[in-house]
Amino acid sequence: MDQSVAIQETLAEGEYCIIAVQGVLCEGDSRQSRLLGLVRYRLEHGGQEYALFLYMHRRMAITGDDVSLDQIVPVSRDFTLEEVSPDGEVYILGLISGFLCAGSDVTVQLNTAELNLVFQLPFGSHTRMFLQEVARACPGLDPETPNPEFLWLSRYRCTEPEPPPPGWNSALGTWTGCARIGGGGSYLDDLRPNGKGLLVDQNSRGHDKPDNLLTRQTKSRSEMNDMIRCSTITVSDKAHILSMQKFGLRDTIVKSHLMQKEEDYTNIQNFRFFVGTYNVNGQSPKECLRPWLSHSTQAPDVYCVGFQELDLSKEAFFFHDTPKEEEWFKVVSESLHPDAKYAKVKLIRLVGIMLLLYVKQEHAAHVSEVEAETVGTGIMGRMGNKGGVAIRFQFHNTSICVVNSHLAAHTEEYERRNQDYKDICSRMQFCQVDPSLPPLTISKHDVILWLGDLNYRIEELDVEKVKKLIEEKAFQTLHAYDQLKIQVAAKAVFEGFTEGELTFQPTYKYDTGSDEWDTSEKCRAPAWCDRILWKGKNITQLSYQSHMALKTSDHKPVSSEFDIGVRVKDEDLYRKTLEEIVRSLDKMENANIPSVSLSKREFCFQDVKYMQLQVESFTILNGQVPCQFEFINKPDEESYCKPWLNVNPSRGFLLPESSIEIELEVFVNKTMATKLNSGEDKIEDILVLHLDRGKDYFLSVSGNYLPGCFGTPIHTLCYMREPILDLPLETVRELTLMPLCTEDGGSQLEKPMEIPKELWMMVDYLYRNAVQQEDLFQQPGLRLEFEKIRDSLDTGMIDTLDILSINNHSVAEALLLFLESLPEPVICYSAYHNCLECSGNYTASKQVISTLPTFHRNVFYYLMAFLQELLKNSEKNHLDQNILASIFGSLLLRNPAGHQKLEMAEKKKAQEFIHQFLCNSL
Amino acid sequence: MAKQYDVLFRLLLIGDSGVGKTCLLCRFTDNEFHSSHISTIGVDFKMKTIEVDGIKVRIQIWDWLSTAGTQRGQERYQTITKQYYRRAQGIFLVYDISSERSYQHIMKWVSDVDEYAPEGVQKILIGNKADEEQKRQVGREQGQQLAKEYGMDFYETSACTNLNIKESFTRLTELVLQAHRKELDGLRTRASNELVLAELEEDESKPEGPVNSSKSCWC
Ligand SMILES: Nc1nc2c(ncn2[C@@H]2O[C@H](COP(=O)(O)OP(=O)(O)OP(=O)(O)O)[C@@H](O)[C@H]2O)c(=O)[nH]1
Ligand SMILES: [Mg+2]
Repeated sequence: MDQSVAIQETLAEGEYCIIAVQGVLCEGDSRQSRLLGLVRYRLEHGGQEYALFLYMHRRMAITGDDVSLDQIVPVSRDFTLEEVSPDGEVYILGLISGFLCAGSDVTVQLNTAELNLVFQLPFGSHTRMFLQEVARACPGLDPETPNPEFLWLSRYRCTEPEPPPPGWNSALGTWTGCARIGGGGSYLDDLRPNGKGLLVDQNSRGHDKPDNLLTRQTKSRSEMNDMIRCSTITVSDKAHILSMQKFGLRDTIVKSHLMQKEEDYTNIQNFRFFVGTYNVNGQSPKECLRPWLSHSTQAPDVYCVGFQELDLSKEAFFFHDTPKEEEWFKVVSESLHPDAKYAKVKLIRLVGIMLLLYVKQEHAAHVSEVEAETVGTGIMGRMGNKGGVAIRFQFHNTSICVVNSHLAAHTEEYERRNQDYKDICSRMQFCQVDPSLPPLTISKHDVILWLGDLNYRIEELDVEKVKKLIEEKAFQTLHAYDQLKIQVAAKAVFEGFTEGELTFQPTYKYDTGSDEWDTSEKCRAPAWCDRILWKGKNITQLSYQSHMALKTSDHKPVSSEFDIGVRVKDEDLYRKTLEEIVRSLDKMENANIPSVSLSKREFCFQDVKYMQLQVESFTILNGQVPCQFEFINKPDEESYCKPWLNVNPSRGFLLPESSIEIELEVFVNKTMATKLNSGEDKIEDILVLHLDRGKDYFLSVSGNYLPGCFGTPIHTLCYMREPILDLPLETVRELTLMPLCTEDGGSQLEKPMEIPKELWMMVDYLYRNAVQQEDLFQQPGLRLEFEKIRDSLDTGMIDTLDILSINNHSVAEALLLFLESLPEPVICYSAYHNCLECSGNYTASKQVISTLPTFHRNVFYYLMAFLQELLKNSEKNHLDQNILASIFGSLLLRNPAGHQKLEMAEKKKAQEFIHQFLCNSL
Repeated sequence: MAKQYDVLFRLLLIGDSGVGKTCLLCRFTDNEFHSSHISTIGVDFKMKTIEVDGIKVRIQIWDWLSTAGTQRGQERYQTITKQYYRRAQGIFLVYDISSERSYQHIMKWVSDVDEYAPEGVQKILIGNKADEEQKRQVGREQGQQLAKEYGMDFYETSACTNLNIKESFTRLTELVLQAHRKELDGLRTRASNELVLAELEEDESKPEGPVNSSKSCWC
């Protein structure tokens, strides 16, 4: 899943997330998931700058709402992102804070002048690709490129930045996410301690004050937890269509696959190419060019026509403009083969060197990616009086490059010519359609056609000898003295190129307007200056000749015709191949969606009882993809599960094919017991197990709760003459929900008991066995015995306690637990404040007690009487009024505001209140 | 190879348990079919890229557990699953032609869609298991009739024999594309790779016309 899409949604215009990867930010012991997006910004005056955006995110980020900007790291000159070996000195991986860090992960270190971060990125090609893209984005050290300024990032700066800490003097800092991001940003804001934003924290990053660092980490960890807590399944209901230039990466992959499989869907088809070269010696066209351009019967498919010395004037040299260009273009266009219609693809000119490319009209649709460039090699190695021009294009599926060059003159300058050739080869660079790809050079083409006045001469022979050999048509003999042939043989130039046999007389130098050799003072030796060479497969030369009929120049034009095998796409096969590639990519992508199997999905907890832990476990077995799992909140719920349930661990990381055991623990305490008794809550829940970047699994938890006296209201228990477990569930439910009235309202019901029998059972047991027990109510009981006590209370088996001779401390503790579990305390919440107010005034206190509902009043006096009984034995049991007042004060008097910590004063008053009833007669 | 603008859609498969949602998805994305029924308990998705109208469309297809039908306690899942509706731009309503019951339940599914899915969501009705002619309980016309009532397109498909799978997925994608035409047109006008051709045509019509002075480097 390409998460750059989600990032893109949060970006401003002109910013483009090239690629994103999800990683784990490692800081000390903390591990936090971050989405790393490489963002490019195109500058108005050209050029681009990059920054790494770090996001917090909710599991798989699908839309912008899923991510929230954490910080921005500009890709400045001092930016590096390097892989570090995991067992290196930097970080030792292991089981840290619930994350099993994968050994196969790629650990990378991000460094700038200001900060140093370590990430773990998932192993695999996507991460590789990400790192490559980042490397490409780095500005490098070339002093010619200006320093990036990152003005575009200023929008992300906090509006009220904290004063910079000492040492914060670089312009290129770290930007932190402010409330800018709509939606997604807001929940982050809420989490910020005192609303100051993360900036405060971030700035401390550069400093090594350990305490500073520590607070930072703990803080951010708790933030992280909160974030997870508040995550919901909902992503967003907002729009949907995403313009997906972001799938550019995928396009590139498809393209490279297509390239590899080219032979599967292309056929080689021959096309006729005409290649011509003519040094026109600065002349204007004076005659029709048909004898040169249209001499054969068959109309060529492609024309590549090159000129040199188009214009020798100073104007052309210095101002680049020449009327000759149009004159020659026009006469060429008119002299093309009459049997076909041609379209001009491109014209390129460097001073006097001009190249024209035409194709038959019907081929035009198959010509693409046309680029033309020039390289001057003249004076100062740069000027355009010598050099080359080239046109590259894609013809069907074959890439073709045509070069027209005019190399250095003079017989002895052959090394200069070799050098010109090399310069043209190395300096000629064509832009690619995809600007992220490196420019193309001449050699990167399937077919290269090279024409021009290469200016190589005939050496060693004197003029007369040359002319004699020409007269004898001994071209082969003469060719042996041709510098080009000699230099090619020495591999000094045109390596890998082929030239056809020279069966025509040298094309230089004639008296203009004639076929006579140069009669001027210089009396130049004839030479084959004008040549055509080629490189590539499936090329057949059909002809290679000069055209003596043209007399405009001191050169004769040369032509060559070729049949060139071009790879032509078979549309059906192409579609098939493309579909195959796309399908296999989809398949790969689908195979990369994390997926696990669960050993169990339905969990049933039978007969859950109060404070009795039940555990079921299951195994998550991971598939082939490393994955992070987490139990997530259901919509509108605050936690991923009900309060009586706990999942351990509730999140983690799994390596491929590894597994982890998860325990589901059910434990009911006083806060949930009443609702479970009344049926308002049930042992029923659905857990959503979410895989990062992947699926959700639903686990169902069910079971039944056995009602018990713990958590049941006093008055309800009084109406239960039978043991609670002997009553039908329906009755328990009704009685539990029965409102507590001050007047005895249940007249239609069986006559209630004065106090709950369960209370009596415990107190009676203690009365009989424990009045002299040392440290009563101060020693913990035994857990196992608590369960027995609970069961005998709920089943009414009174003797069990005696039979098992349960430890006094266990029963005492059960009594305290019972009082604590009462949903309405013995002294009702409504009377709480009154009690505190009149503590110290016994009469008034008794008055308050008298207003309690009957059952509660009964229970209160019953307990007080029992405690007074205990105090009579204080010599043995060492209890005193203060101890008992403090223990029972907080149980019988509970603050209606809930479980908040009571203030000391309040506690004291509650104790005092109880104390009165221990030292006065009741 | 002109550069195209791609879009991403989310489609959702819904219908009773066992009608073949997971099979439809597997057939479409992986061209595979499994005859065993492993009920999907959770939410699963796969990606698929198809070309419609010259636009490359990446679709994320969500398959999830059925909340109607026979499974125990499924109402409990309802609160969870309704959330997934919100993400969808297109919905397949699937029944099994050999199960009258699954056909009857389409009504309930439609009302869920109306309630939870975003406005303008595209729907299509699928009668799956068309290969099971001998067990047929729901007539073709019944499917057509129902589709007409709700203004949906209708296909009888078979994940088993690969009947109408590609067609129905492509159709729903088309519908979603159409529904989002405006946004898409905005994208498409920016496509610009016809430059070469345009230049060729111009030159052909008036070959004697002025020629751009070529770009050259004076340095
Ligand atoms: N004959 C036939 N059987 C099919 C076809 N499609 C699915 N099945 C079978 O129907 C059963 C259920 O298919 P699933 O794709 O798992 O059904 P589902 O709708 O995903 O079910 P839930 O995940 O429970 O909601 C499997 O046994 C499949 O083999 C079909 O086109 N023809
Ligand atoms: Mg399924």
